Amino acid sequence: MNGPLIVQSDKTLLLEVDHERADACRRAIAPFAELERAPEHIHTYRLTPLGLWNARAAGHDAEQVVDALVDFSRYPVPHALLVDIAETMDRYGRLTLSKHPAHGLVLTTTDRPVLEEVLKSKRVAPLVGERIDADSVIVHPSERGQIKQTLLKLGWPAEDLAGYVDGEAHAIELAEDGWALRPYQNQAVENFWHGGSGVVVLPCGAGKTLVGAGAMAQAKATTLILVTNTVSARQWKHELVKRTSLTEDEIGEYSGTKKEIRPVTIATYQVLTTKRKGVYPHLELFDSRDWGLIVYDEVHLLPAPVFKFTADLQARRRLGLTATLVREDGRESDVFSLIGPKRFDAPWKEIEAQGYIAPADCVEVRVNLTDSERLAYATAEAEEKYRFCATTATKRKVTEALVRKHAGEQTLVIGQYIDQLDELGEHLNAPVIKGETTNAVREKLFDSFREGEISVLVVSKVANFSIDLPEATVAIQVSGTFGSRQEEAQRLGRVLRPKADGHEARFYSVVARDTIDQDFAAHRQRFLAEQGYAYRIADADDILAG
Amino acid sequence: MTTESTAGAAVPRTLAEELRQRDDVSLATLLRARPDLLNPVPSDLTQLATRAGTRASVLRALGRLDAFALQAAEALAVAPEPASYETLRALLAGDDGDPAVDAALPGAVGALRAQALVWGGERLRLVRTARELLAPSPQHPSPTGLGPTVAEATSGMSPTRLQQLLDAAGLPSTHDPVSAVAALTGLFTDRTRMSALLDEAPMDALTVLGRLIWGPPYGQVTADPASHLRWLLDRGLLVPTSPGTVVLPREAALHLRAGRAHRTTCPLPPEPVIAAEHRPDGVDATAAGQASLAVGMVEELLKEWHEGGPAVLRAGGLSVRDLKRTAVALDVPEPMAAFWVELAYAAGLLASDGGYEGAHGDGESTGRRAEERYAATPAYDDWLELSPAARWARLATAWLTATRTAGLVGGRDGKDRVLSALGPHLDRSAAPEVRRRVLGLLAALPEGAAPTPDSVLELLRWERPLRVGTTTDPGEDLRARLARWTLDETELLGVTGRGALSAQGRALLAGSAESGSAAAAGSVTPAEALAAAEASAAAKALAAAEAGAAGEAGAAGAATEAVPSAAEAAGSQAAEAAGSQLEARLAALLAPLLPEPLDHVLLQADLTAVAPGPLERPLAETLGVLADVESKGGATVYRFTPGSVRRALDAGRSASDLHTFLAEHSRTPVPQPLSYLIDDVARRHGHLRIGTASAYVRCDDDSVLAEILADKRAAALRLRRLAPTVLAAQADPAALLGGLRAMGFAPAAETAEGDVLIARAHAHRTPPRTAPTPVPEGPPAPNDALLGAAVRAIRAGDMASTAPKRPAPAAATPAAPGEPPRTTSAETLATMQAAVMTGETLWIGYVNADGAASQRVIAPVRVEGGFVTAFDHTADEVRTYPLHRITGVAELAEDAD
Repeated sequence: MNGPLIVQSDKTLLLEVDHERADACRRAIAPFAELERAPEHIHTYRLTPLGLWNARAAGHDAEQVVDALVDFSRYPVPHALLVDIAETMDRYGRLTLSKHPAHGLVLTTTDRPVLEEVLKSKRVAPLVGERIDADSVIVHPSERGQIKQTLLKLGWPAEDLAGYVDGEAHAIELAEDGWALRPYQNQAVENFWHGGSGVVVLPCGAGKTLVGAGAMAQAKATTLILVTNTVSARQWKHELVKRTSLTEDEIGEYSGTKKEIRPVTIATYQVLTTKRKGVYPHLELFDSRDWGLIVYDEVHLLPAPVFKFTADLQARRRLGLTATLVREDGRESDVFSLIGPKRFDAPWKEIEAQGYIAPADCVEVRVNLTDSERLAYATAEAEEKYRFCATTATKRKVTEALVRKHAGEQTLVIGQYIDQLDELGEHLNAPVIKGETTNAVREKLFDSFREGEISVLVVSKVANFSIDLPEATVAIQVSGTFGSRQEEAQRLGRVLRPKADGHEARFYSVVARDTIDQDFAAHRQRFLAEQGYAYRIADADDILAG
Repeated sequence: MTTESTAGAAVPRTLAEELRQRDDVSLATLLRARPDLLNPVPSDLTQLATRAGTRASVLRALGRLDAFALQAAEALAVAPEPASYETLRALLAGDDGDPAVDAALPGAVGALRAQALVWGGERLRLVRTARELLAPSPQHPSPTGLGPTVAEATSGMSPTRLQQLLDAAGLPSTHDPVSAVAALTGLFTDRTRMSALLDEAPMDALTVLGRLIWGPPYGQVTADPASHLRWLLDRGLLVPTSPGTVVLPREAALHLRAGRAHRTTCPLPPEPVIAAEHRPDGVDATAAGQASLAVGMVEELLKEWHEGGPAVLRAGGLSVRDLKRTAVALDVPEPMAAFWVELAYAAGLLASDGGYEGAHGDGESTGRRAEERYAATPAYDDWLELSPAARWARLATAWLTATRTAGLVGGRDGKDRVLSALGPHLDRSAAPEVRRRVLGLLAALPEGAAPTPDSVLELLRWERPLRVGTTTDPGEDLRARLARWTLDETELLGVTGRGALSAQGRALLAGSAESGSAAAAGSVTPAEALAAAEASAAAKALAAAEAGAAGEAGAAGAATEAVPSAAEAAGSQAAEAAGSQLEARLAALLAPLLPEPLDHVLLQADLTAVAPGPLERPLAETLGVLADVESKGGATVYRFTPGSVRRALDAGRSASDLHTFLAEHSRTPVPQPLSYLIDDVARRHGHLRIGTASAYVRCDDDSVLAEILADKRAAALRLRRLAPTVLAAQADPAALLGGLRAMGFAPAAETAEGDVLIARAHAHRTPPRTAPTPVPEGPPAPNDALLGAAVRAIRAGDMASTAPKRPAPAAATPAAPGEPPRTTSAETLATMQAAVMTGETLWIGYVNADGAASQRVIAPVRVEGGFVTAFDHTADEVRTYPLHRITGVAELAEDAD
């Protein structure tokens, strides 16, 4: 009774990290509990139905979960909670989707009342066909995703054992010349392949692209890769050519500008979700080849229509890649049912400890508004308030001071408001990359930043995702998309790639004191603070002075 | 069963005689088992016997029987009277015998005898009322599924038909119906001859019999039955009861059942099914964990209601909304919230404030408020001073003996009223007994064994199979529901852990039995007293079950007054002492299992603090103010927010206090963001100051204001200098103006905008009002329905006043002309009854519920229960009138026209 774990009745688990058995405990509970917060002393995990079902999908049973809790718990575990865990986990797998030699896709049950219950639901009725016998019912193959989504909502997640089509074979090998997949990347690929479909959660900068490449090398089949934007698409292509046996010609780009369909095709979410006259004209992409693998980059940003298309793709292997399963829109359950359960997860700090991502020093710089600014802020319209305090002139001075302080280091200045960025660019004498910047110019600027020809780059939120700036060691955030937690994580990710000299990364967030900017900042930082990135707070006056 | 010890004495002819032969001990046993017989104390044994035979008392006694004793009673009810022990045994065990029945039967008969439900020496007689209640009849089919005897079934049959039956069955004809019935009965009860007879039966006939064997024994036949049915009817194996219906006579059914009265007998109580066996120390620890949660929950509830809880509904209790709110605040489902609220109430920790402010020192506070609220009692403050273990002990003992049942909350009572938490009608006197019984069952299992709830309920059902005073809920009777709730509640309260009774739970049960015995009486030995206590609890249980069904709480009280009051008074003191001893013992048992309170927390950079265990009270209190609780359980997670820090500053702490506090109680350095947060909030705290003033004095000249302040005459105005040029006053503007003028100044009043107010007489105006709506002359034009009703009323009144009346009897009060005479109630009743017989029409004076008098012409149909049902010519429909509202009655002359 002196374990490192405290099981709370609200289904949170508190893990004391300094305890001698903490590591063993972490390993025991990681399969079924979601790490919610990882500050310095006590990590918080949460038991959720999704997490428990994830564990079931990975082959853990309720007994193991209960044993782990009871074993490591410092205090007696509430009985009701144990019962609840057993009951929740028991719900997974009562229903299974499988291939029947004669009837095609069937939904079978080991517990007849459950089948009766779900068949009674109005939402299930249109998805199923004839009842074969008391325990099984035909499912229209096209509704495989729909029914999984619906059953999950009903609380009876179905285990999908219907298998996958192999797709059109295409030779893909990893070209491991002078590098190799890191152990955790290997593990992630293996877990994914073993599970069939699912999501791999890795921090920004931990090499998610390589996990994708590894999965492709396993599948050895034509692959469709869905990414957030064109820049990201180019980077995927670049990386794949460099790291695998694939050549330029084998990789197609399907975006607003190019519409190539090749054995490996990289498409952007934006082009897929473009709607003309009420229809999605680019949907045929999914059917244009017999894809053996579909990779979703940044699953947490997956737009809602893509879920809908994905529902029809359940017979193909799907790999989701993301830094966080937290979705601002709360559609985690759709990720679970349509892309698959979480197959791999490594805490941010753990990978940092292994030296694969750079340690970072996060500083929140508090800026005082001048008296006249305060008055103007007080009288600003509610919807203008954030813009006003986020773009205050004082921030500019502080940013300049910070850039001066880190002169010589590769510095990114990131912001939300174009006016502010333009002004900063002018004062810092640095190029500005924003929405209207053409891709060609963008890549040219990124290249010269990479080469060290320019050391300061001002970027708008277009650079939020998937741009690879290996040598950025300092990021200064002057404004953001209100309180978006994942944006903050993404931006921090920009400086987390390991530095050649092992230099510590710096992340500054410039915040106007006593305004809603400060509230939003607190909200944004929560995810990182919970991941163990402690923010220091610094006064702008100190920075200006020194 | 061995014969009675009174074998030497004459065989008793009545129950009274037998009771007379019983010794004092067995009489005491009877009275203990059926305490309702004692109320009031019967004058002699005849009266006792009579009372023991009354329907209500017998029903209660039957309700107390276990399943097997009840089956024995049911078997006796279908057996010929009197029945030998052997007959009874055969009915229960069947022709083949059943060792389990043989073993259990003496006990069952003994129990029936002890309760005076069965009497007689060798020949067992069931008390007549019990027999009537249990014997099968078409209206009340018996659980045995048996039909009437041959004699009963053929009672209306013609002698010729009887002889035909005998003939068909191959029996010689007899000279009268009685012997014919006897012959037929003889055949049916003779296994060999009956088998021979049935061997001849057509297959279809046997199938038909097969359907009726285990009941219900009634079947439908057409007017022209098929040949196989005719075969059965001809031999009396089916006897017509009414056109189209036939019944299988009891003797025939018994033959087919191989003599068994019940399809299955249950001589032994069902064994509880063990769902899991846990390590006893694990059970105790889990229960202890739950116990500390329970204590925490009650504390949290009352903290939530610290400054006055929710309002008391007019009918008593918490409103559904308040319960919901409480459930959300406690983060538990509503039924569980109801349980905690009721538990705190049962333990005397919360109550209604009766509409009075609590005694908070200053004199004004005892003023009466408009609405009553729930609040913690002074006992709560004492309770808080106890150790956690002692706090739990108080809750657990209160729970065990409480008659209030939280499980009922949210349901509806017999009158379809919603039962609210803390509200009335939640008392079920059966609750403590059921709780004890459930704990008793758990205690009988090996340590650490957790039974399945269903098997526990099964066993309880065996002990009390009969539902007395059927509840409103058709699904499950009150006892079963109480037991189910008890199982849930024990777990919540930490009496059980993981479904098994903990050591604390065992002590609670044992201790409560002792204190119960102390309460019973001085003279009786502890063991007997325990039995008595249980018996009286059982009596309460039945009374409550009935009362609960009827919605009459009053009836419950009557049965509980069984014990003489002097003994009760003495006993209650003893019980109190035993109770506090028990609490101390429980606390001592629990205390080592509870974790030690901690004096430190872990502070983290994400602005949370984690207390990895229970905190010492002062620390917990301060932290509770300084931070918001995010997660509870074994540990507590606190989150610091600007709001929570501000709250601490509001509570009078300074920023440096807070820094010191955190530094003292943190094992790790205080994270920088937290210090920053506190400083940030503190910097702005109190920057703006707010107060109230009734008026102000403004003057550009500081010295004038200084002069006013210095003036003694200004003291009454209670002026305070806010700024060099502003004084705030507690006096209202008019008084201020007057005061300053009296001091020789010439102040001018100011408007809210700062303009000088011109003083002039201003007209007095009302707030906005709408003009009155015009009132049209006369009522609105009547519609057809109204006109129709009016005409009918007029006609009836006419009929009443114009009908020639018989001269009123001399005794009757002379009535005003055109009004019915006033008659005494006796006369009214007699006249009504006569009118029912003769079908006469009467003229009555009637006062309705609103006190309005009217005259009506009615034709009485029925007079009963103080009501007369009559066709009302005035209203043109059948109505019912209370007799006491009829002021007088007169007959209409027969030749009214």
